[in-house]
Parts: sequence; structure tokens; C-alpha cells
Amino acid sequence: MSQLDSLPADAAAHLHALTRRHFLSRCAIGLGNVALAALLDQSARAAGPAQPADPTTPRDPHFPARAKSVIYLFMAGGPSQLDLFDYKPRLNELNGQPVPDSLVAGKRFAFMTTSHGSQLLGSRRAFARHGQSGAWVSDLMPHTARVVDDLTIVKSCAADLFNHAPAKLFMNTGSGQFGRPSMGSWVTYGLGTESRNLPGFVVLQSGPRGPRGGSVNWGTGFLPTTFQGVPFRGQGDPILNLTNPAGVSATRQRQTLDALRDLNLQQAVATGDAEIHTRIAAYEMASRMQSSAPELVDLRGESAATRALYGIHDDAPSFARNCLLARRLVERGSRFVQLYHTNWDSHGGPGENLQSDFEARCREVDQAQAALVTDLKQRGLLKDTLVIWGGEFGSTPMGENRDTTGRNHHIDAFTMWFAGGGTPAGRIIGETDELGFNAVQNRAHVHDLHATILHLLGLDHRRLTFRFQGRDFRLTDVHGNLIESLIA
Amino acid sequence: MAWYPRWIGVVVTLTIAGTRLLEAADTPPSAVDFARDVQPILSDFCYHCHGPDPGSRKGGLRLDQRDAALAGGKSGLPAITPGVPDQSELIARIFSTDPEEVMPSPESHRTLSEQQKQVVKRWIEEGALWKDHWAFIAPVRPPLPAPPASGNSPIDAFIEARLAQSAIQPSPEADRRTLLRRVTLDLTGLPPTPEAIDAFLADRRPDAYERVVDALLASPQHGERWARPWLDVARYADSNGYSVDAPRQIWKYRDWVVSALNRDLPYDQFVIEQLAGDLLPNATRDQRVATGFNRNTQINQEGGIDPEQFRVESVNDRVGTFGSAFLGLTLACAQCHDHKFDPISQREYYQLYAFFNQTVDDGHGSSKPGGVLEFPDETRSDTSASPEVETARFELYSYLESRDPAHVSWRPEITPAVLAQLKPEMQHNVMQPWAQLTAGQRRQLYGYFVRDDAEYNRRLEKLTALERSQNRVVTTLIMSELSEPRTTHLFIKGDFTRPGEVVSPGTPAILPPLRAAGPRATRLDLARWLFDPAQPLPARVFVNRVWQVYFGRGLVETENDFGLQGSRPSHPELLDWLATDFAESGWSMKALHRKIVTSATYRRSSTARPDLSEKDPLNLLLSHQIRLRLDAEWIRDVGLAASGLLVQRLGGPPVFPPQPDNVMGLGQVNRAWLTSEGDDRHRRALYTHHWRATPHPAAAVFDAPDSFSACTRRVRSNTPLQALTLLNDRQFFEFAQALGARLQHAAATDDERLQTGFRLCVSRAPTAPELERLRRLLAELRLPAESGQAASESEVWTTVGRVLLNLDETLNRS
Repeated sequence: MSQLDSLPADAAAHLHALTRRHFLSRCAIGLGNVALAALLDQSARAAGPAQPADPTTPRDPHFPARAKSVIYLFMAGGPSQLDLFDYKPRLNELNGQPVPDSLVAGKRFAFMTTSHGSQLLGSRRAFARHGQSGAWVSDLMPHTARVVDDLTIVKSCAADLFNHAPAKLFMNTGSGQFGRPSMGSWVTYGLGTESRNLPGFVVLQSGPRGPRGGSVNWGTGFLPTTFQGVPFRGQGDPILNLTNPAGVSATRQRQTLDALRDLNLQQAVATGDAEIHTRIAAYEMASRMQSSAPELVDLRGESAATRALYGIHDDAPSFARNCLLARRLVERGSRFVQLYHTNWDSHGGPGENLQSDFEARCREVDQAQAALVTDLKQRGLLKDTLVIWGGEFGSTPMGENRDTTGRNHHIDAFTMWFAGGGTPAGRIIGETDELGFNAVQNRAHVHDLHATILHLLGLDHRRLTFRFQGRDFRLTDVHGNLIESLIA
Repeated sequence: MAWYPRWIGVVVTLTIAGTRLLEAADTPPSAVDFARDVQPILSDFCYHCHGPDPGSRKGGLRLDQRDAALAGGKSGLPAITPGVPDQSELIARIFSTDPEEVMPSPESHRTLSEQQKQVVKRWIEEGALWKDHWAFIAPVRPPLPAPPASGNSPIDAFIEARLAQSAIQPSPEADRRTLLRRVTLDLTGLPPTPEAIDAFLADRRPDAYERVVDALLASPQHGERWARPWLDVARYADSNGYSVDAPRQIWKYRDWVVSALNRDLPYDQFVIEQLAGDLLPNATRDQRVATGFNRNTQINQEGGIDPEQFRVESVNDRVGTFGSAFLGLTLACAQCHDHKFDPISQREYYQLYAFFNQTVDDGHGSSKPGGVLEFPDETRSDTSASPEVETARFELYSYLESRDPAHVSWRPEITPAVLAQLKPEMQHNVMQPWAQLTAGQRRQLYGYFVRDDAEYNRRLEKLTALERSQNRVVTTLIMSELSEPRTTHLFIKGDFTRPGEVVSPGTPAILPPLRAAGPRATRLDLARWLFDPAQPLPARVFVNRVWQVYFGRGLVETENDFGLQGSRPSHPELLDWLATDFAESGWSMKALHRKIVTSATYRRSSTARPDLSEKDPLNLLLSHQIRLRLDAEWIRDVGLAASGLLVQRLGGPPVFPPQPDNVMGLGQVNRAWLTSEGDDRHRRALYTHHWRATPHPAAAVFDAPDSFSACTRRVRSNTPLQALTLLNDRQFFEFAQALGARLQHAAATDDERLQTGFRLCVSRAPTAPELERLRRLLAELRLPAESGQAASESEVWTTVGRVLLNLDETLNRS
């Protein structure tokens, strides 16, 4: 390891991170498992107290990236594309007719044993074409309709799993089984993060409750936990335990940290354990987060015009506030910001109908998501920031007649949209059949979306691997084809 | 980027060091060994397309069996001609420079190094000798090497013989304080008390250390500490998982594990009772409790699911856990197709599945009779609700959640007169935005203002009726067989809606044959089969997992994969000696612990060895011990012990120590975390209620597993979020305050207090520079700050407590 010593200090740290990544992703024979991380850290130990390894140090992508960061607006519950983006006049004509057997033979649905859900349900929404692209958007999203020329709308998305929790896992990790890393973890593992004061992968939530499945949606699976999503909260500390304990002033905290650092350094010298340097660095980062995270969430520095653009009128937690936080995070170098908004489930039961409840969901997100795109564009951030919008699946053309109308979960065709980060502006990809049941053109499966998202970030989905249990795992498993039309 | 070319050099060196370390550590072996040198290359680069799975096989060629490899594929050319590389198609293809010809193909993004190609070529030159994978051959007790120089145990004989081969001197024994702290943490999860330190230092008898070990093994805390890794494997949790994550009662199983370890129940019996205690003749209540091992699967209570799908998931989980816990095999890989690397067919997977497919529980949480064991003589004292109550509460609260502010129509009615009639907390809550209210607050307001909502009233009545009649009897989940066996089908591509051929219970052909007691093999037969003397895997897998706790890494590093893709043992003879000795000594787990912790190898210093940075940078040869960050649970327990707050009570229902606000809101259901008061606030972390969807943040941040599936080894991360937890978390601050107060009472002078604090946290006295630094801290704190106020003495000592509890050394085992 003597070659390490001759390097400049931060080059050595960088080198260690790179070496480690290479080791983790490409290392050959017989060294399975997460243990690799430990191995390399131990190799750093053996090298003596050199530079601490920081696995989140920014790293070069496989090839030049189009997007540097991601803001993923996850519409938890699966919004109905048939009432928002996928306009189907024929479905309206056939409203109330039984669904053709040819479409549903051999298919399984959630709530399949219940009697409802076999009759077609037309959309009651008024649709119109918007922008140069002429994209159809319903009257539920007037703000989004105004920015369609900045978006690529993919109407032919397809997934594999139709229950909420497994489907969310599938959309986030490429697998419905627990234990796989989420996309944000893969990306920060592959690219590190530019932010030294804030986590690289941040999760923001709004709506009545958290997404189903909870933390596994932003978990690291078998990747080191360094890459896990850090859930900021809408109220109280944005990061858990960010504020000093009651009665501990900033001065006392600094005195505590200084003494701690000095004592830890003495121990590092005594034992030769380089891991102690990592811990010292972690305490310093924690201290920086204590000062930078409150600044991040303090929106008073934003102009009244910006706040109005997003529709932020008070300090209450909201999707709008999270959208603005997402922009601020990306500005400060975070790599992957994921927003969850619940609840889009629209079966027609109490709180889940396609009338007032669905309208309320749309109101909660429409202005802010359009504002995010506009704001990023105005600040010149959109070209480097990939915005993703969509749920874990969509909704069926068949209606569910409960107290009020609703739709069932649907995985064969649903709509997502993208903006910036190397995606084309004003493009519409894919088409569904006349009832909106199946994708008939440019089917974009979740694995293909994952491959393309990684590609936009400069990562080859086949080369971004981690060896675990004797196998090289990928976000796309053994699947995934690039969606060329989604790349500008 | 001037250093880029050098980086390449380092990577190559490191790669070789990491993958071929044992060779790097001494002279290269004279002859190529198939299992050690060649099979890993074939497995890694070839088996995906030319391995056991016919589904992904290309060109009709398989290279995992000698006869097939000699015959070759569709081309008709022999892939391997022993002794004649020039007539071996394998050699022609791997050395080819034609992109159409070369193997592995360019699309695979895998490239053989020149060295790897030469290894394969030399192996063919030397006659292409073929040997079965080491892990599928039963261990034979190996002869002991020459007696070790420094140790007295067979373990040391093997370790030192290997070190001598590489001319490496082992490190000396750790000093007595370090050793005592190490062994006390390793055997009990707690630091030694100051009295224990004094007693040990004063005991000059030659067997003083062995006496300490025996006392620790006999202490009830030993079972609490070693239950943890087993519960990780058993994916133990106190909730059902998936999205609804309702609470469940299965803590009797956790207590069974602690008790079984404390009474040193032999490992074979320990496993048999957990896998099939219900099927033992005259099964005792305890033996049925033990079968909770396989009831730690998740239950999906989401509406609209197909229960059969999740019943199938839980059976799959049982098969996967059986594979990783006992066989060290990735059986789950054979769920959808034949295993790509190991000789496990998809059919064999479903034969194992058939054993676990006969139980009464379903995937929706409403099992047939026989899935729950009641303890009518015990009543619950915990504050958590029964699953039925929890479900009814969920139904009511989710209805309330669905009442968005538009439905909350009483706002305009609120006049000062109306307000005055409300209870004080309601007066406050009614003015808050609906979205910010907790479920309980909403229930209170909604019930008060909206009196004619029939749906709400129906759900409320159901809940209150259940709350009144709440069954306070203690229960636990157990395994029970159906009276009529279910037919098991192989599922095509693993899809339970596509049943294929019918299979009967059976075990993989690569392992010893199963001997069934009756006409149809049962789970009990399967459990006993694990302890057939001809078994190659279970003993090795278990001793390896114990070893990894003591040394940070198993003798087989891939502790959950002993198959062809796993790593080879660093010390194969030692592994086999430990495995055979374990069986021959009657499967005593305490004896195994004792053998390891009394060895010289375990007792060595953990100080880094820069002199070995070339020869053995990763310490695979175990010339010294290693510093290991404590697991999440011991970090809490050390804080409790050092501060004097620890309440040592064994077993019982889970408890709810403080955690930050709003954590429970991260799951689908906003559940309440009713913080325990009194003793239950300060119990060991083992007893903290584990919600799968919303685990306690102080555990999760230190890499405690989520319990969604079997965890055979924890990751050790080192993150800023850990620092924030230890610095600012309410409970850790409580520990610091208690430690500060304890120090103030313990002695009169600063130095004495500082020394006591050091002993409580890291079991040693501070060095002179350390003491000096802490004195400086005291001086800083006692100076008037910019606000004009010096710290009070209790503030001073709380601050010292925070520093000591955050020391890297406090969080590590040296």
C-alpha cells in the first residue's frame, strides 16, 4: 500500500473510495457478501491512519452523465392515468358495458374475489390538448398542463405486481421481495454525493401517512447502510436527533465534540485503527448537518414570488413545501431526493373515491409539481436534474362501484412523466389500446425505466453491480432495456 | 488525474490480495488445485450459461460436471481434453481474440485475467483432475498439527501452523483489562463492572481467566446476548410486517431461545425443537413454543390481497431460512429455476417446500385452530393491544384519515362558548389543522362533533366492544400440521398461479439421504436429517457463524453461502476440527464458546499490525484480534450499564423505551408508541418492541436487521446519523445525565471521578494525556461562557458523561 502514501491527501481518500467501489462491483472470485466493505475498510486499517475512507465521495460515472441528480415524485397508491393523462373517448362511449373477456382472461387483480370491477368506467373529466406537444391533460391538473412542453409523458409504463407494498418495492428496488437496495441507494453507491453537509439520498413525505412498506422503500438491502435514504420529516427535527438536547448550548456541544475528537484521536494513534478516523469524520459531518439542515428547511430566505409559485402559504407540512425543499437539496448537492405523497388509492370507498378525494389529491400536488419544473428551469437546474413523477402502478379502465366510484390497481398500462436531466422536452412516448388497458406501443417496463434512469445518470445498469451471496446483483436484475426515446 | 495510472496498479494488487490472499501470503502452490483454483473461475465466469440450470444453458455445454465437460457441447468438440490444452475447446475459446469466439462473451461484461486463463490451462495440462466441492463432503476430524508455541488449544495449533508457513509472528496476548472487557462483552453483551475488574486484576491464579469465562457462561446474561444473533436468523419481530404491520405476540419464543441457551440445550435438540417441536412424541408446551422459529414470517393484512399468495410467500421464506440458517445454501435461487451454480434443482426446492407446506397458518393472519398457543395461567402486563383490537383500531383510524378537512365541518360552529365546554386538550386540538392531529386526537374530536356518521359509529362500536372484552391472555404463535396434508406442486417460474408437477417431501440429492420414520417424511424427519453423521453442512455452518462473532469474519467469509459461489475456508482443517468436535462433544454450545474464548488466538491484542500490510493486510490468518463496533443492542446496554440505570430482569413482553416523536408515522398506520415508565424504560435492548415497518431508530441506525428475512450477519456502518443519535437522542442524553450524577456521587475529586467514568465506560484508567484533556474540558466548562454563566456542576458532569459515552472505544470491543 506504499503507493498510497505518495498521493495527495484527498486523492488518497478518493482513491480508496474508487478502489473500494471497484472491489465491490468487479471483484472476482469467491469473495461474496457485504463483507467486502469490511474487507476494504480493514485494508485501510492495515495501512495505518491514512485518510479515512468516505464511500460517499463523488465518483465519476461510467460515461458522461446527462443528469447529476434526481427528484423523484412518488405518487403512492397509484394515481389513475385514465383521469389525468391517458384520454380514452372510446372508454367513455362504453361506460357501463362489461369489459371484453379478451382483455381480462387469465389476469389477476387486487380485490379479485369481490364482485365489483367488471364494468368499464369512462372518465368524467374534461380533457384538452396542451402546449406545442398537444399532450392530453385533464382538468384536474391545470398547472401541470401549462408545463407539458417541458415534460416527457410515458403512457405505456408496465409493472409486475399489483398489491401496494410489493409493487412499491418493485418500483423502488426492481424486486417485490424485501432485501434489495432502492434506486436511490444504488445511485449514491455508484456516484457518491456532492453534498458535504447534507445526506446524498433524502426522503420527504407528505399526505396522511407514510407509504406502505415504510423504510424498505429507501433501504439499502445488502448495500452498506451508508447509502440508505435519510427520511427528513415534515415537522419537528427534519433529521432525527438534529437538535441538541434541551439545555445544551452550541458552545457546550462544540466543547463536547472537541474533547471527543481529541480523545478519539489519541485512541486512533494507540490502536492504529483507521475506522476511528471515519468515526471522527462522521461526528464532524453530524455537526455540520446540525447547522446546515435547519438552514435548508428554513424557507424564509425564499422570495414571496417563489413561495407563491409553489403555493406555500404557511409552515404546515405539505407536498408543496417538500417540492421546494427538494430544489434546495439539489442545489446543495444531494444526489437523490425522493418525495412520497399519499394516498392515491382510488377504489371508491370512504376517502378513496374518484370524485372529491381524487380531486383533493390532485390539488395537493398539481401546482407544486409544475412549480418545481418551472423553478428548476428558471434557475438553470433542470438540465442537470431529472424529475420523475409516477406511482407504483395505475388504475383499471373498469370501475369499482362501492359507495362512490373508483378504480382498481392496474399494472398493464399506466402513465409516468419525466422532466429535465437529459430527457426530451415535450415528447409523448407510448400508446395504449382504445380502452387504456394494455400498452400497445413502446411498452416501458419498470426494469426498462430503471435502466434508462441510470443511463441518464451516466451509469450502465449492467455494470452497476454489487456482489452478494455469491452473485452480482443489479437494480435491473437480469432485465432492462434502454428506452431510447426517453433520452434527448 | 495524474495519479490515475497508479490507481490501476493498486487495484490489481488489491484484487489479487483480496481474492488470492492465502497464496499472496506465501509462495504460490506448486500444483493447481481444482476446488481451490479452477472451480471458482468456472463458477464465476462460466456456470451462468454452462452450469446446472438447463433453462439458461447455452450451446448444450455444461462445465459443472466432469463427464459433460469432457464431452463438450453442440459443437461436438471436447471442451476439455485432459493433459492436452490444444485439443480443449475451452482453452481455444478463453484465449481467443475474436469477439465472436471469445468466452466469456463480450456482452457478459466479464473478462478473465491472463493469470486466470493460465490457471485453467495449467490445470488441463496437469490432467484436469476433478474433485467435488469441498462443502458437500462431510468433515472428517483432522489430525492436529504440532502443538502451538503460545496457546494450549487445538485452535491455536491450526492457526499457528498456518502463520508459521507464512513466517508471521502472532501478536501477544491483550492486556488483562482489555481481555476482560472483550470477553465480558462477547459472552454477555455488557461491560465488566468495576468490581469484576478489580477481582480479575487481583486474581493471580493461573486459571483466573478460565474462571471468569465459566462465570460469564453461567450468567443469565449469556443467554440474552447470544439469543440476539439467533433471533436475527429467526427474523424475530413483534409485528406482522408488510404494510399494516399489526402487533403480534411471539415473545414467548424469544424467551425460549434465551432459556435454551442458558441451560445449554444441545444444538441438535435446540434445532429439532424449533423446526419440529410440535411433532415430537408427547411434545411439551416449551417444545411447541420453540416452533415459533418458523412463525416469524410476515403476515399481509392489506385489503384485497389473495391470502394464498402470502401463505406461499411465508412457506418460501421458511425454505429460504432453512437454507441459510442450517445449510449455508442459497436455496431461494432454485425457487423459479434450477440453481445457476449449485447442484440444487427446482424440483428439490419444492420437495423441501413440501415439508413446510402442511401447517395451519394462512397468509392473512387468520390461521385455522392450532396456530396459537395460549397461556391461560398468565395475563398480559404489556401496554400493547391484542391483534384483534389493533385491527379494529386500524379500521377506525384509517376511516378517520379518510375524512379530509372538507368533512370536518364543525369549524364554523366553534364559538368561544363551544370552546369553553371542551376539555383543555380538545380546546387546543380543535384549532390545529386536521392533518397534524394524531389518530387519537381525531377520534376524540370527531366523536364529539360528528354524531350522525353511521359508518364511524359502526367502526367505533366494534373497537370499543373489543377493547372492553380484550383478551388479556398471553399467547404465542406456533407450528401445527394440517390433519389432511396439502398437495405440493412445483410452481412454474416460481409463480404460484402456475402449478406444475406434484412433488412429495424430500431433500437434495447432493446431501445424505433422508430417513423417514413413517410412510411420508415429516418436518421432524427433516430436522433429524440435519444431524445425520454424514451431513457435511449444518455443523460447519453453525460453528462458522459463532466464529464470525468473535473475529468479525467467518472462517468461511460467505457465512450464508457455502456453495460454489461462496468463498473457500481460510482454515479448512480448523473449520472441520471445530465442526466434528462440536458434534462429538454432544453439541454443547457453551463448550464451543469456551473453546474459542480460551484460545490464545482469541486472546491476542487487537492493535493494528502495519508490519503485515504486505503479507496479510486483511488479517485472514488471524495473527491478531480485531476491533469491532458493538452491535446496536450492546451500544444501548453499555450506556445503561455505565450509567447505572440498567434493570436486569429476564424475559417478558416487549417494552417501549423512549424514542423520538413521530417515528411511528413513517409506516402506513400511525401507531402509538406508549413510552414505558419505570423499570421498563431501562431494560436491555433485546426487549424493545420491534415493529418491522418502523423499527426503533437507535437500533436501525446501528444496523440492527429489519427482520423481513433471515439475517446471518450484520453489516457494520459508521455514519453521521449514528453520531447524532448518541449525541442528541433523548435516551442517550438520559444515560449521560445519570452517568454524570453517578460520578458526582462516586468520588470527591475531579480526577477520581474521571477515572471512575473511564472504568465504567471502557474498563480502564485514562492515560495521562487523556486525563489532561478531560481536565481541560472541566476547566472550559467552569469558565463563564459568553452568556456570562459557567456550567453548573451537574451540567459539567453530564457533559463528561456525554463525552465518555460517545468515545469510539466505548462503542467498540477492542
